[in-house]
Amino acid sequence: MTACTPRTLDTLRIADDDLRAVLEGRRHLLFDGGMGTMLQAAGLVAGELPELLNLTNPDEITAVHAAYVEAGSEVVTTNTFGANARKLGDAATVEEIFDAAARCARASGARYVAGDIGPLGALLRPMGTLTFDEAYELFAQEVRAAASAGVDLLVIETMTDLAEIKAAVLAAKENSDLPIFATMTFEEDGRTFLGTSPEVAAVTLDALGADVVGINCSLGPAELRPFAARMVAQTAKPVMVQANAGLPHVEDGRTVYDIDPASYAEAVAGMVADGVGVIGGCCGTNPDYIRLLADIVADRTPHPHLPTPALTVTSAQRLVSLPAQGHAIAVVGERINPTGKKRLQAALRDGDIDYVVGQGISQQEQGADILDVNVGLPGIDEADMLCRVCEQLQASTLLPLQIDSTDPVAIEAAVRRYAGKPIINSVNGKQESLDAILPIAARYGANVIGLTLDERGIPATADERFAIAERIVGEAARYGIGPERILIDCLVMTASTNQDQALEILRAVTMCRERLGVKCALGVSNISFGLPAREVLNAAFLAAAFGAGLDAPIMNPGSARYMDVVRSFRVLNGEDAGSAAYIEHFAGWTDPYKGGAAPAAGASAAPVLDDVTDPIRRLILSGRKGEMAAVTEQLLATCDAMELINGHFIPALDEVGELFDRGTYFLPQLMASAEAARVGFDTIRRLMPASDIASKGSICLATVKGDIHDIGKNIVKMLLDNYGYTVFDLGRDVDPQVILDEVLARDVRLVGLSALMTTTVPAMEATIELLHAQAPNVKVIVGGAVLTPEYAEQIGADFYAKDAAEAARIAEEVFG
Amino acid sequence: MAEAVPAAPEHLASPTLYRPDASACPHIDRGEVLRYLGYTGQDIDGELAARIELIECNLEHDIAPRGIWRAFPVDARGIDASGNPCIRLVGTTVELQGRDIFRHLKDSTSCVLLACTLGMESERRLHALGGQSPLEATVLDAAASAYVEAAVDQMDAAIGRAARESGLSRNRRFSCGYGDCPIEAQDAIVAALDATRRIGLTVTPTHLLLPSKSVTAMIGLFEGMEPAADARPSCANCRVAGACAFRERGTTCY
Repeated sequence: MTACTPRTLDTLRIADDDLRAVLEGRRHLLFDGGMGTMLQAAGLVAGELPELLNLTNPDEITAVHAAYVEAGSEVVTTNTFGANARKLGDAATVEEIFDAAARCARASGARYVAGDIGPLGALLRPMGTLTFDEAYELFAQEVRAAASAGVDLLVIETMTDLAEIKAAVLAAKENSDLPIFATMTFEEDGRTFLGTSPEVAAVTLDALGADVVGINCSLGPAELRPFAARMVAQTAKPVMVQANAGLPHVEDGRTVYDIDPASYAEAVAGMVADGVGVIGGCCGTNPDYIRLLADIVADRTPHPHLPTPALTVTSAQRLVSLPAQGHAIAVVGERINPTGKKRLQAALRDGDIDYVVGQGISQQEQGADILDVNVGLPGIDEADMLCRVCEQLQASTLLPLQIDSTDPVAIEAAVRRYAGKPIINSVNGKQESLDAILPIAARYGANVIGLTLDERGIPATADERFAIAERIVGEAARYGIGPERILIDCLVMTASTNQDQALEILRAVTMCRERLGVKCALGVSNISFGLPAREVLNAAFLAAAFGAGLDAPIMNPGSARYMDVVRSFRVLNGEDAGSAAYIEHFAGWTDPYKGGAAPAAGASAAPVLDDVTDPIRRLILSGRKGEMAAVTEQLLATCDAMELINGHFIPALDEVGELFDRGTYFLPQLMASAEAARVGFDTIRRLMPASDIASKGSICLATVKGDIHDIGKNIVKMLLDNYGYTVFDLGRDVDPQVILDEVLARDVRLVGLSALMTTTVPAMEATIELLHAQAPNVKVIVGGAVLTPEYAEQIGADFYAKDAAEAARIAEEVFG
Repeated sequence: MAEAVPAAPEHLASPTLYRPDASACPHIDRGEVLRYLGYTGQDIDGELAARIELIECNLEHDIAPRGIWRAFPVDARGIDASGNPCIRLVGTTVELQGRDIFRHLKDSTSCVLLACTLGMESERRLHALGGQSPLEATVLDAAASAYVEAAVDQMDAAIGRAARESGLSRNRRFSCGYGDCPIEAQDAIVAALDATRRIGLTVTPTHLLLPSKSVTAMIGLFEGMEPAADARPSCANCRVAGACAFRERGTTCY
């Protein structure tokens, strides 16, 4: 086994020493300006593929490049912004376009030719429909085409989605040895359309291995200057900016931009003073602008800039930064881990990702900074499940993820597709683990947690723990992973059996931080295993561990006691400036230790069962979920679970359905009733053995392939859940084969399909056809805005439901 | 031989961004939200009313719509690939099929394309709530629809003012999917406005707009007055009657 060679400038094919000096931050580099602007001035139609002009009008393209070279551009960018197979379609191949484009560029006599790669024009999952792997393949094809066309570097630009630019950078890195320049596009609020900030972009792209990171398009240079400065503060790599010349308007029949070359150049000079190394123009700029930029960088060397060293973790929307000097706390939420959690285990087995995501959302609300994600469970495909859960968590929470698995295959699958710079949990001192995990952390620029255990197990003393940590740090260095990307977990042993170790663990934390320059994580709650009042001991240990230097407690943020310790310590370590957050949180606080304190919110006193004979009916009809749990619990003391369901819940739901049908209730009222019933059912499930509650049968729901509307489907799911069916919700944009596989695997008898648009009804028809052919016993019920009973029959559906209440009645009919 | 098509007035032909700040953002029409939710006068109790109101307030507070519009000259004499009459917007790849849009634009000299979106944050919220709280998600869906409509109303009014300043009249806005106008044209409309780059609007392979709380529309601009909408359609006063592709095959567009 050879250690993987980390990507460095020495492993790249760099055209010459000057370009190398640029990548080392010792030399400025001047790109060209807008291509689209020049082509539009030449009469190109809005919305056509400008890349085809490389084939049809090569001389005109070369003339544009040559004008820039004449103005002083050292780099010209190929006219290949949209030259991906998805956009080109049948018009031309990717290879043809890159080949012709590179030829046009070289013919201009430019010193360097940059192969241009723009966005794919489609959103990635889970918001869009393109998968990460599909995006990667489209980019890889462009990268290979650019490399074989002989470009000197790649510029990946105008990106707004961190997942998409990650796919592009990986494709560039894995399919060529060319330098990678990667830039994103920010709006005036300092975020991309998908919510990424300049800091997150700089940190993530740097970690992934982009050689130059930066900003292009959207705004003028004066507006981009502060964003560029924010990037400069986060990365040691050269920062690049290609701003627009403001906004376009038509004047005397020509499109002109509102920032003139002189003011443009003045603003760019400011950026260069702030540390920007690579400059050029974007929409609206032309050789007149570039000529002035050439003067700015002539005979200058870039300002060196070094970011404040820190351990940085990102999601597409958030940066968590733990500075090397000083002590900040990042709470890692531990709740997404099936160990000992029956409900979560069941959710993972049933593919109920919404439940898992709910655990993430609640931890975010409770104050977690990072979410640990572990879905390891016998009998499930961990790599697949980990990817699915991470994907959905990224769509519904803002927090960076800590990807937690013992399986290197699952870790790599998830880390690769994760939009951000995650933490890997974990590597340990065993050679086998080091050899498997560190290359993954290196390849994707991830952080990694190192556990202080090795082939001999968990050592007893601080010195032995430290020795293992030191070894992990040393091995990581071989892969180019510095201490600023490592968290050491000194492994908490329970005080009930290893009392002498409690303080040794804390001593090890201090040693690792001070001598190795790493951060420390700890799974705190192990300390109290086997002892009563666990939270009390855990909270004390947590405070002591903070004192010893703990940075990243892996804990349940739902415990107010732990979060009290976190909030308090953030005052003591100065992280909570002016104690502002502390003061705000504890305003109106009542000391729970003092008698007579008001009961905590939510824990209302036992309800009084009113004289109405059926409180369940009353609560469901009025859509009040607040008292439902307590009332259900009280009734369960005297009433059999199934009797409660069939005698009270179901009749009340039927009644609500009728009220809805008659127009006495409108949709939100129907749903509020369903919510109230749901709280009751959850209470029954929580208190009663599963065997006491029979499922009425399994139903699969999906919005068909190509369709992205899922509101209607979600309403149907809510009602069917309540009627006691086991509902497998496959989400939106679901491939027919996926639905069939689920039907066969889970013994499903009824499938509900939703389609909202005429363009997606054919996908519904195809799904029905596949199901009827391969699973003839399955009935299909369809619904959605464009469907009618006649249309439903025409496409082969067994049933048409005009609304959710009707879907529930049809299910009763099917399952009898 | 194509005759010269009149250009759209310059300030209408420049892409105009719609980016209202907090003080200029449109307000969600509560009645409209309830209408989307199927409300027909039912009694809404205080708790439910408060939930609906909170969602509307948060949406208005947290999300600002963005849009872009631009006028393009209309060519009503085109024939599409399958030999049917269509409307083309000059300088773009937009080709609009169907009788309804033909009638809507045939007399116009230029057509304003507009696109408006609530952005990815609205999409993210709908997605997150969809899995966690269907009631809130359903209300948010309705509120977001009303919000983007309100934003388009503001854009529509601004376009009307700009048209008046140029001495043009305008008709009501028309969107793909109305009548027999296919939604396949969304791709070309988004491309013509460069709306992916300018406002973050994309189109799925099935021609749906993403973020889903987005609208594209077309408004015809006319020299002088638009033929009254309530007048009986007739070829007598039609601008393209002389070279009408429908009439050439012995039929009409109405």
